[in-house]
Amino acid sequence: MGCLDYQMNRRAVLQASLASILGFSMRDLIAFGGTDHTPTAEHVIFFWNGGGMSHIDTFDPKPGRPTGGEFDAIDTSVSGIKISQIFPEVAKVMEHCALVRSIAGVNGDHGRGTYQLQTSYNQTANLLHPGFGSVVTSEKKQLGDLPAYVTISGRAPKASYLGQKCEAYFIGGPGEKDPYLSFPEGIASARGNQRLEVLEKFNGRFAEKSSNKELKSTQTSIDEALTLMRSPALAAFELDKVPTSQLNRYGDTPFGRGCLVARQLVETGVRFVQVNRGGFDTHMNNFPAMESHGEIMDPALASLITDLADSGMLKKTLIVMLSEFGRTPKINKDSGRDHWPNVFTCFMAGGGIKGGTVVGTSDEDGFEPKDNPVKVSNLHASFCHALGIDPDKKVMTPLQRPFKLVEDGAPIKELFA
Amino acid sequence: MKRWPMLAATACLSLGALGLSVFDVQAKPPVAQKKVEKAPVDPKAEAAFREQAKKLTNGTELDKILALENKERGIKADPMPVVDDLTFLRRVYCDLVGRIPTNEEAAAFEADKNPSKRNEIIDRLIADDRFVDRWTVFYADMFRLRAQADGGGAALAWVHQAIADGMSHDEMSRRLITTNGKAGAAPEVAFVLGDNADPMILAGVTSQVFMGVRISCAQCHDHPFDVWTQENFYGFAAYFGKTQRIENQFTRTIYAKENEQSTVLWPPEGKAKPDERKPMKPSFPFDTVAANETPEYIARLNALRAKQKAAKDTLLAKAGAKDSDVDDLLADASENEEKAKGKKQDDAITKQAKQDAKDLNIKAGLYTTSEWRMQLAELVTSPRNRFFAKNLVNRVWSDLVGRGIIDPIDDFSDNNPPSHPKTLDYVADEFVASGYDLRTLVRLIVSSQVYQRAHVYGLAEQDQQELENSFLATPMRRMLSETLYDSIITAGHLFDVKHTPGKNMKTTWKLSQMVKPGTGRQGLALTAMKFEQKMAMKGPAADEDDEAAAGANLEKGIEIDFGKVLAKAKEDGKKVEVEEMRVMSKEEIEAERMRAQMQTQRRGVDYIDRYVKATFDDNPKFGSSLRMSSPAAPEHFLRVFGQTDREILGESRDHAPNMRQALMMLNGQLIHEASRVGEFEPMHAVLAEQKNLDGAIKLAYREVLTREPTTNEIKEAKSIIAAQKDQFDGMADFRWILLNCNEFRFLR
Repeated sequence: MGCLDYQMNRRAVLQASLASILGFSMRDLIAFGGTDHTPTAEHVIFFWNGGGMSHIDTFDPKPGRPTGGEFDAIDTSVSGIKISQIFPEVAKVMEHCALVRSIAGVNGDHGRGTYQLQTSYNQTANLLHPGFGSVVTSEKKQLGDLPAYVTISGRAPKASYLGQKCEAYFIGGPGEKDPYLSFPEGIASARGNQRLEVLEKFNGRFAEKSSNKELKSTQTSIDEALTLMRSPALAAFELDKVPTSQLNRYGDTPFGRGCLVARQLVETGVRFVQVNRGGFDTHMNNFPAMESHGEIMDPALASLITDLADSGMLKKTLIVMLSEFGRTPKINKDSGRDHWPNVFTCFMAGGGIKGGTVVGTSDEDGFEPKDNPVKVSNLHASFCHALGIDPDKKVMTPLQRPFKLVEDGAPIKELFA
Repeated sequence: MKRWPMLAATACLSLGALGLSVFDVQAKPPVAQKKVEKAPVDPKAEAAFREQAKKLTNGTELDKILALENKERGIKADPMPVVDDLTFLRRVYCDLVGRIPTNEEAAAFEADKNPSKRNEIIDRLIADDRFVDRWTVFYADMFRLRAQADGGGAALAWVHQAIADGMSHDEMSRRLITTNGKAGAAPEVAFVLGDNADPMILAGVTSQVFMGVRISCAQCHDHPFDVWTQENFYGFAAYFGKTQRIENQFTRTIYAKENEQSTVLWPPEGKAKPDERKPMKPSFPFDTVAANETPEYIARLNALRAKQKAAKDTLLAKAGAKDSDVDDLLADASENEEKAKGKKQDDAITKQAKQDAKDLNIKAGLYTTSEWRMQLAELVTSPRNRFFAKNLVNRVWSDLVGRGIIDPIDDFSDNNPPSHPKTLDYVADEFVASGYDLRTLVRLIVSSQVYQRAHVYGLAEQDQQELENSFLATPMRRMLSETLYDSIITAGHLFDVKHTPGKNMKTTWKLSQMVKPGTGRQGLALTAMKFEQKMAMKGPAADEDDEAAAGANLEKGIEIDFGKVLAKAKEDGKKVEVEEMRVMSKEEIEAERMRAQMQTQRRGVDYIDRYVKATFDDNPKFGSSLRMSSPAAPEHFLRVFGQTDREILGESRDHAPNMRQALMMLNGQLIHEASRVGEFEPMHAVLAEQKNLDGAIKLAYREVLTREPTTNEIKEAKSIIAAQKDQFDGMADFRWILLNCNEFRFLR
């Protein structure tokens, strides 16, 4: 489990060093063999659909099959690609999107699945692997005053050995004011600023009496907090100025507002925005639930892609939608679908990936990968590739164990042809 | 296979507060195993060293041993002096009871002219209820207890009760290692269930948590930097080979139990053909003191346990009981009663013991106790296993002094030797001889100069390091997040309301989910709706007290009534057999499941978000963080200041400052409320009635920083307060600054 990395080192040392003598990196050997694709992604909007989203009822429809369920497959802007009828608007922007329909997952448990899909590693007891957002923020420097990594409406995985700087900044509801970003109620800003001035004096005096380094970092943390509190960029968290017509285009739901805030954030320089949404664990009444999810997600996702494309930001923004696993092709007696990691789909758009692409297929009933099975870490390696990050880069844990940013993954070349 | 005598087979069942048992401290016959040899301690040389140390004049026995060991190590630097009374008082309050002292407590201590007043306050604090709360946090961190995990709440309550009862560390550890049963009803089982009863994970956890040794790297390969082999690891994991986590598909209750069919196989998967993999024989790879030697501390432990047994026999004779189960229980009761120092009546104990014995007989057949884990627990907790006592000693030392004798604390290894092996041996010996008593250990450390020394300042970094590493100076420590939280409450008089009711009425808008009238769309996405509802609550479950002004939830928590949790666990324990023995057909189970689900789902109801106007009295009070459900929600004050989620083995609290901490301190409700002056606190009278500004400033310094201000500081404070028209506002500003400054959160 957790120590595979060490094993690999020992076994693969010879091969790897041979390869580098010949002038190739391992990744070149595995992946491309000479395409001159240059990565264009600078930001990521990562949609986390918690609970395990049905692949068949969304992006991998099986019309006419016993497992196909209640939804039709509809045509999209790309001829030959069909998706579920619950996404009529997304279908219209398919030329910007790619689907990986052959993820071969291994974890049918929410916790373990979430862990792997968010970190690329399998869960171990001893060590916490950083989430992908932390990987991105450790490799891409912060732009402007806002934190480089923001998570909306839910938690993001921890940064672990990548350090405090790579932790996500949490906002509860999109558009809601974060009470910690302004002085407490009743404290006018002149008074608050006065307090801060004196506080700095007190802290400075106390620090003179000690060589403890943490005393200085307290002041640094206060300075960072103040920079954020006073930054005009904070407007990117707010939706007050967004016209109603625009809100309505996105569907004026918490998810729609999340998409709007995510867009504003990447436009302000935030590197990684995770938008969390749950309710996909549809063991019962799968179809009305998925229909309702479609009504909420479809306008927001399509508007986001359209708007980013119009402003030219889409090329620089990788959009990913993932879940911990798919759902059983077989429909259970409660009209539900249960956990199914064997095959499921990843939705992507923008960030320099080739639009209108479908990677891999599942079999005719959606049970198993048929062509080109993709392991989870290959997805992460592909995200890295889009961002110009080396997935094989080694990082040390505090106990001096080396780990790659992504667990042994190779980018999926079809996404970048 | 040979069956080991089931010496204490019954002891691992949950018997509530009565369940102490006496284990034989002699080592079990050894299993064939490869031992990792460590250099043995020469008892004669050790005795001579301690004799020599006794001749020194300064400090406690611990201080003398440390001084001599430092001398042998060639340390020539002078130690830092012991801190003054008020600094000591603040330190010892924070460390023993998790909050700063009040002004009254500080004044009483200053007025006390008794030369041994430091030891007296230590004894008082160790006997305080808050000591139990504070050290429950220590154990919960160490054992990774999570209120949200299966039976986690009961486990927290159980540890709390065990500390209150003075349960010995070896007994507590044995129970955690051996207990099978239902999550919650058998609180100790949370330890095994917390890691899904996975033998490989439990092997790593047991070794690291109870012995400070990281052997889990050896799961996949021979340890790269240490002596452990993969075979060592598999042998150790084999003790957990039969243990299984079971989830009842109907009741959703979770159990740990023994399955004779399951076992750990060797060689590892993929290293041999499946039919070549054979059941691994459990083996204990740690070196132990030979069975034919009886060091002094073991003799003292044996004497103590014999005395405890004699007391038990006396009580047994008094009760005139015959049933052997009752014997055991009475034995436990006696030991327990001795610890409680006569707080409970013998009669009540006897009655309770008989009742528990009845329950026990019903349960005994249900959960087969794990023989292997019984063996393992005895080996781990034996006084002959030096790792066991040293591990706890080193953890407690590190907690109190700021640095372990072995550091990092969970890396006992040839590559990471103790800085002061003789001092560590001494404290470990005393700990064993005390019957593994936490209070004795804490007292031993905090009454010493090692604990009471001042920090270094103004020296070169290298010199500071040398002093701190030699325990001749204490490193500066930030308060634990729980202590910081409770200290803000203490300084700000927020354990109770401090304003006249109705004086601070405020209106707020709250986002609320309501049923949409006239809806009934069949089969609406209920799961989705439930999730949205959860998302609407920030932090821990919304407090319905209507005082939930924006953001307050991240600074408040749900208080656990440990007593209630345990009582419920006990009730559940009695119900177990009924659930377990009821045989149901698959159809029956499914029907039950559907019925249960129908009750929780209101079909065809639509929900809408609405902002609801609420008026509330902004006069909050806060409960102690030591009794909050833990770990708190990820963005909660306690987590932001270092409480971990207790998921990852060996994750220590990160006390480094970060921006979230700054935002919480600068703009949070807790500090804001603590700063405001309420009519019901002493400060109000000093300002409003006595009109004594100097006195008010002194009081602020004493309440917040536990010290007197200097003349210059009083002058400075006056100008800060004068910047506001209203003196109360000025004082609020001034207290806000004191509460926010580093001097408040770092222990002087």
